[in-house]
Amino acid sequence: MKHHLTERELIEYQFKLASEARMEESAEHLKGCGGCRELLERLQRKFAALDLLSDEIKVGEDLISQVIEQTGRPVRKKIVPFKIPAWVGTAAAVLFVGLLVLVANLDKDEIKGPEVVKQPIRTANETKLSEKMDSGPRPESRTGFRGDYAEKIEIAQARKAPQSDVISGIAEYTVPEQPPFAPASAIELVTLPRRDKVQLTIYNSADLTLVREMRNLTLKKGWNWLQFMWANTLIDPTSLSLEPLEQGDKIDIQQLVFPARLRELGRWLIRSEVSGQVPFEITYFTSGISWRAFYMGTLSQDERKMLLQGYVRVGNKSGEDYENAQTRLIVGKVHIFDQIAELAKRRYPYDRPGIVEYDAYMGRRDTATAYGAFGEEMLGERLVQLGDLKPKEIKKEGLSEYFLYTIEGTETIPNEWGKRLLSFNAEDIGVESLYKYDEERWGGEVIRFVKFANDEDHNMGQTPIPDGDVKIYVQADEQDYLSYVGGTNIKYIPVDEEVELNLGPARLVKVEPKLMDFKTDNYVFDNRGNIAGWDEIRTWKIELTNTRTLPIEIEITRDFGTSYWRLQADIPYEKHDATHARFNISLEPRSKRTFSYTVRTCHGLREETLRQ
Amino acid sequence: MENTDKSLIEAHIKGDPAAFGELVRRYGDNVLGYLMRMSGNRHQAEDLFQETFKRVHEKAHTFRGSRFKSWLYTIATNVAIDGIRRLRRSPVVSLNQKLDCDGDNLQELAAVAAVDNSCNPSQEVQKAEQTEQVRRAVDSLPAKQRATLVLAYYQQLNYREVAAVLGCSVGTVKTQMYRALRTLAQKLPDI
Repeated sequence: MKHHLTERELIEYQFKLASEARMEESAEHLKGCGGCRELLERLQRKFAALDLLSDEIKVGEDLISQVIEQTGRPVRKKIVPFKIPAWVGTAAAVLFVGLLVLVANLDKDEIKGPEVVKQPIRTANETKLSEKMDSGPRPESRTGFRGDYAEKIEIAQARKAPQSDVISGIAEYTVPEQPPFAPASAIELVTLPRRDKVQLTIYNSADLTLVREMRNLTLKKGWNWLQFMWANTLIDPTSLSLEPLEQGDKIDIQQLVFPARLRELGRWLIRSEVSGQVPFEITYFTSGISWRAFYMGTLSQDERKMLLQGYVRVGNKSGEDYENAQTRLIVGKVHIFDQIAELAKRRYPYDRPGIVEYDAYMGRRDTATAYGAFGEEMLGERLVQLGDLKPKEIKKEGLSEYFLYTIEGTETIPNEWGKRLLSFNAEDIGVESLYKYDEERWGGEVIRFVKFANDEDHNMGQTPIPDGDVKIYVQADEQDYLSYVGGTNIKYIPVDEEVELNLGPARLVKVEPKLMDFKTDNYVFDNRGNIAGWDEIRTWKIELTNTRTLPIEIEITRDFGTSYWRLQADIPYEKHDATHARFNISLEPRSKRTFSYTVRTCHGLREETLRQ
Repeated sequence: MENTDKSLIEAHIKGDPAAFGELVRRYGDNVLGYLMRMSGNRHQAEDLFQETFKRVHEKAHTFRGSRFKSWLYTIATNVAIDGIRRLRRSPVVSLNQKLDCDGDNLQELAAVAAVDNSCNPSQEVQKAEQTEQVRRAVDSLPAKQRATLVLAYYQQLNYREVAAVLGCSVGTVKTQMYRALRTLAQKLPDI
């Protein structure tokens, strides 16, 4: 930085108001510039005067007692005084005189009497909406300033008065066709109350959750603005939708407005023919809520039966707490055009594609930290309730291309929290323990599998099984002590499909192939006398060792590297595919077994000969 | 384990009288300090203090799990700005309150302070004068700038927290802060 720092730059430096880059530049300059350092010191001395007001201030016990005492009193309703402009008085006087003249000129029997005029004008807090509703349609005689004035009061009251729980039309008031122009600062908003119900439908294939909220909104007759904010959350504002659940023919959701310069905020314009509470459904997509399945299998001691328990874990990092939410989990792949989290971070809901603001994300992190305390408190509450907990049932049903799991009752899932729920519990599943040896896939190790089917014969088959991690244990002794056998990840298993769980390398079962003999044969020569085709003959001895105390089945797959092969073996085999043969062998407990095979593979022109 | 703010608020909503008392004691000093610096007057600050916690009591059910401290400061700010505006429209002078510190009062105060603290009376007078000058300088700031300065400088909230309290962006907070400091640089006494 060549020029000296201005006073503004010095203030910004001193109070860390500038960007980091500017701060570094200023610091660099100050190192080398005595003049600017002196100016900075002068400013520091100047602002040191602010510390004269830094004295610690203590609240007296009396004041605290007064404050606590006043919370014991019932909440005082705010009374909004309705001020009468001066011209209203003048107009009233003129009308009063006019009315008197009119009365004097009319036959006395035709008039109802001057009670309307004599009746005192009620203030806003004296006039109740319920009175208006009880009184029915206003008589035509109650016109003039008195009627208009009362009307205004009552509409104003209706705007402010959430005490009316009854939906009722006001016959005299017709809703204007055009909505009122409402600049951001002057807008009158309908308060968004607490959720009455909330339903989460969580997809596991994409970072996507459909939220449906039911809220009772208090509307006034006419035009209403409803404000919805999604700051510090991962809600996709482009997906917001609002629908009345009742009075649909009298309520019209006109538009959703995203005001300029106001971030993470939208306002619905609602035209209502009724006033009072109306239940609404708000739906939107959010990101950050996920679920995944995982399973725990416990094998019996003889490893012929298995207890399989399925769990789902629901996690919430959406920035929003969802209390008492009905939770539904979707299995299946969803095609989505945008990433919801990206949409939520946009500065404006319909921003240019690809432009993402990160402030909101940073803000969310702050909020997440703040929710830590809430989380601890929730934990305490949950721990208290643990005594009453019983596993909730998860209802499963097919849904088009997807499968839907609905968790019984409702769940509270605070932000930054996860929750594990039991999905199913299948007992006595008949399983087969299977060992596999395939050098091509697993090298020289024998891999252990547990095999069963997702069908009724195996006490399952009611629903597909979603992707998830599986951990398998075995009952080690009669006391039900468990021993961990291995774990794996399973892919989506449809109904009636077989499952093989890979439990990793087996240490107590060995397969050792040995090449006993190799020779070539059946040479074919071309016109120049070069070798153009031949056979290779290999003899293998396979030694199998089972040191377990249980009988086992081993599947050995051998690769010949070509589809032109012939095999002679001591034991039966099956052709697995063009280049592989497979042997299935049973082994007694603590036993060894050996078998041999000779394979002839044809190469070059010999392949043609074999084909013919 | 210490109760969280949220749990205290929830307990208060459920009718636990002790919970609200704990909240008042926890944040009372901070809030009163804030309101004193906003209003420049202990008496008025105590009124605003009561009003602030009354609103907390009335609006407790609307608290939605964000930081209680920010929420409380937001309420205190609104109360303070409303209160100061109301007072400017129709100033009220208490019958038993000392008038604003003029020279005589300052000397009187300094004399008392000197006895109490065994300091040089002239230094105390000078300090009292300077304190009053600072107070006037801070009081002269527009409400938003004053709130920004007090929250950031005296209450030691970071700019992001100040933005959350005032419901604006961090950039706006920094701008308000700079403007406040620029004004103060002209008005603060040299010490």
